[in-house]
Amino acid sequence: MALDRKIAYINLTTGDIEIKPIPMEVRKKFLGGRGLDAYLLYNHTKKGCDPLGPDNALIISGGILCATLASATARTHVMAKSPLTGLLGSCNMGGFFAPEMAWAGFHHLVIKGKAKKPSYIYINNGNIEIRDAANIWGKTVTDTQWAIHDELNDKEVKSLVIGPAGENLVAFANVMTGVKNAGGRTGMGAVMGSKNLKAVSCRGTMDVKIAHPVEALEYNKKFIEQITGAKVSQTQGTLGTPFIWGATNSWGGVRTENFRYNQLEYADDIEPERIDEIATETMGPYHMAGCFGCQVHCRAQYKIPSGKYKGKYDEGPEYTSQGAFGAEVGCRSAETVLAGNHLVDQFGMDNLETGSIISWAMECFEEGLITKDQTDGIDLRFGNDEAVLEMIERICYRKGWLGDVLAKGGIPASKDIGKNSFDYLIQVKGMNNLHSDERATPALALNIATSSRGSDHLRSRPAIDLYHLPEKVLRKIYSTPVPYDGPLSSEHTEYVGKPWQVFWQENCYMAVDSLGICKYHTTFLGATLPNFENWPKVLYLNTGIEMTPEEIWQVARRNNMIERMFNLREGATRNDPEKGDVLNHRYHDEPCKRGAIDVIGRYIIKEKFDKMVDEFYEHKGLDKNGIPKKSTLKELGLENEPSHLL
Amino acid sequence: MQSNSKVLLINHEKCTGCRLCEQVCAVRHHGASNPSRSRIRVMKWEMEGLYVPVSCQQCQDAPCLNGCPVSAISRNEALNRVEVDYDLCIGCRTCVSVCPFGAMHYNAIDRQVAKCDLCEGDPQCVRFCDVKAIEYTDGGDVSIEKKRAAALRLSTVKKQAMALEQHTA
Amino acid sequence: MAREENQLTGAESLQQTRTFGKVRCHNPSCMERIVPEPGADHAKCATCGMEFRIFWVNPKLPRIRGPVWDVNRKIAQDRFKEVTEAKLKAAEKKGGK
Repeated sequence: MALDRKIAYINLTTGDIEIKPIPMEVRKKFLGGRGLDAYLLYNHTKKGCDPLGPDNALIISGGILCATLASATARTHVMAKSPLTGLLGSCNMGGFFAPEMAWAGFHHLVIKGKAKKPSYIYINNGNIEIRDAANIWGKTVTDTQWAIHDELNDKEVKSLVIGPAGENLVAFANVMTGVKNAGGRTGMGAVMGSKNLKAVSCRGTMDVKIAHPVEALEYNKKFIEQITGAKVSQTQGTLGTPFIWGATNSWGGVRTENFRYNQLEYADDIEPERIDEIATETMGPYHMAGCFGCQVHCRAQYKIPSGKYKGKYDEGPEYTSQGAFGAEVGCRSAETVLAGNHLVDQFGMDNLETGSIISWAMECFEEGLITKDQTDGIDLRFGNDEAVLEMIERICYRKGWLGDVLAKGGIPASKDIGKNSFDYLIQVKGMNNLHSDERATPALALNIATSSRGSDHLRSRPAIDLYHLPEKVLRKIYSTPVPYDGPLSSEHTEYVGKPWQVFWQENCYMAVDSLGICKYHTTFLGATLPNFENWPKVLYLNTGIEMTPEEIWQVARRNNMIERMFNLREGATRNDPEKGDVLNHRYHDEPCKRGAIDVIGRYIIKEKFDKMVDEFYEHKGLDKNGIPKKSTLKELGLENEPSHLL
Repeated sequence: MQSNSKVLLINHEKCTGCRLCEQVCAVRHHGASNPSRSRIRVMKWEMEGLYVPVSCQQCQDAPCLNGCPVSAISRNEALNRVEVDYDLCIGCRTCVSVCPFGAMHYNAIDRQVAKCDLCEGDPQCVRFCDVKAIEYTDGGDVSIEKKRAAALRLSTVKKQAMALEQHTA
Repeated sequence: MAREENQLTGAESLQQTRTFGKVRCHNPSCMERIVPEPGADHAKCATCGMEFRIFWVNPKLPRIRGPVWDVNRKIAQDRFKEVTEAKLKAAEKKGGK
């Protein structure tokens, strides 16, 4: 049974390991995955703990449906206090790690302390062992995994690893699995590195029993058809996520040259179709790959077609790399996007943060805030492809003054660079924004400003807001499972009704992350994909747990509230420019200069934005300062946290 | 067309490596998600992007059948498959050691050998494989698509050669 | 279970409203449906005049690959001028800078 998967507490300082079952009461309250991780983080860390110290808890998990028949139950979630933001650290990745961990007997690992020497954890069918990693320390992401295969003499072992960036405590280092499945954002790789933990490896051959196997198999077929039948899934299965970047750049929603423009003109060489051509040329017509159990197969395989890294194999790029090593840094070369993507994959660092911070440094350089001495002579101007690739390496290995400074993350770096460099930093809560420009889309602006892990598109983004869906359709989606009769608007440039959409999506994404399913299998990019109404059935058929759509919604609200409580505990306040639910002033002061006719001239109107935040808080049950009301905590059963149920 | 000539046809080039085939196989046969109990497995060379599903070929001259000391393995003509009679099987795993594909495997949980039984004519791996890397198709025509692809290659090469000839002439 | 076997969920019922062979204009105030000729590599929005390059995911599924740069860039630059001038005028009227 999925429900007999356990939780293990591993102390790397003492070597103590404790294994416990996860009680049904906890499951019903938090489900699992990201939601339960948030509960565990709140309970197992103390206020103000050092993110890179032994007291930080690194929590690794699979969702409650991990490895079961619910389509793409592949997601691995990692949580800890973030060294980048000092607030909630959280990342979620595909691949094959979490299912292997489930077959090895576990859904959640809570890792504390710090190993005396480089180590890795090996989990095999219920047994947990801390092993010496002296021989794999220093290796890249993929070499680490293959070295573990050799050492354990088992090629079926799946590992969650850090690369050199994590070892070097780069504040936005990733945890990674496979060639490119990346747990990005918020620097979970640095937390692993600070614990001297190079990898967590799993191998399992234990049954995850399906509660109602015959019916689950049948329903899964239908569920998959609902997903693959969507036009968006077909596009994604052909072009991968780069299709999103293509569409966004077309209308003018892509940050270009840090934040100077909202579109990269004449970007033909990095358009998804061109990248797909390169994949076809180098890997053949069938170059799409899938994560565990997924029929969308959005991960392309490619080899770098030319240049210094010619012939290197990698996967992706995701649309984030087109932004990071394309538009943001003002480069128009597929080679740079593919090589940049390869470098961050091998080093194990976040492509979004890396590209974003380099583009910020470029703007600072062009504005005279960073000197040529500080760059060691690198001409850090927009459009300098070589400089981008060089800076990726410098950040990973903390080479040179600027490489070391940028590796600390945006806000600390802005203090080192000084002057008004902070004004140019496109961040929320210390985490840089991805490549998207939300000046024409108030709903998306609200989403990045209020997301629990800093500026982020994967926590509450109502992406379907861009589709101009009729109000009737929007109402159908956004008024289940709980009624909503407030305003809704088809216009994505509007402000009305958007707070509810963001609130709804926040709960939708939390639910999907707690279940352990991929976001591309719910109401993210397509309006016809499964959500609250479909999940009770997959949950029941696979695990036997009976919950209504409303109950799942409540779990999601509860889990989101714990994430907010964690941030509040660590010092977040509504209007703090470094930790608050606010946008960089440029969103309000600089209108869009490029793109579709009616995008031009748009910016986020501060007064209307503040009203949206007020309304969003009301939906969540927070007061004007973003602090949960007593009645909300009571309703969600969170009035006595930390409650130490687990 | 004979009704009993269908075979499992694997085109590994199309495989996305998702391993849903492993999952549905194990659930269909054992009610559990567990690749180690699946009769089909996807072998991977991840740095080459190469994923190859491996399953029983239902060989005509099957080494497992030939090698079985108690004649527990036989050919089922109606389903065009090689099958194990568990009432006769003594669990010696000779078939595991002689199978050239590793497709006969030993399931440590049931303490039994196991192989693909084509799900009694409705292979679930085929049903769930959206990219059609695994198909259940008429045995007589298994190579027709390969012939077509080869023919296309040949004609393309020929055209290129002709163009080159004209160019250099 | 909260739901009857044969009852469609909201998301499932929306599948029936899908349209094929069309794209939506990328201009927010327009968003009109554009129907490219089958296999065509570009299409013009009849309503607002923006022009797009088209890619076919499959024969029934076109998508906008990107703008026809020279055309849309010109439209954008004219529009930006217009917006900036309007803003200046408005500021003048208020007596501000």
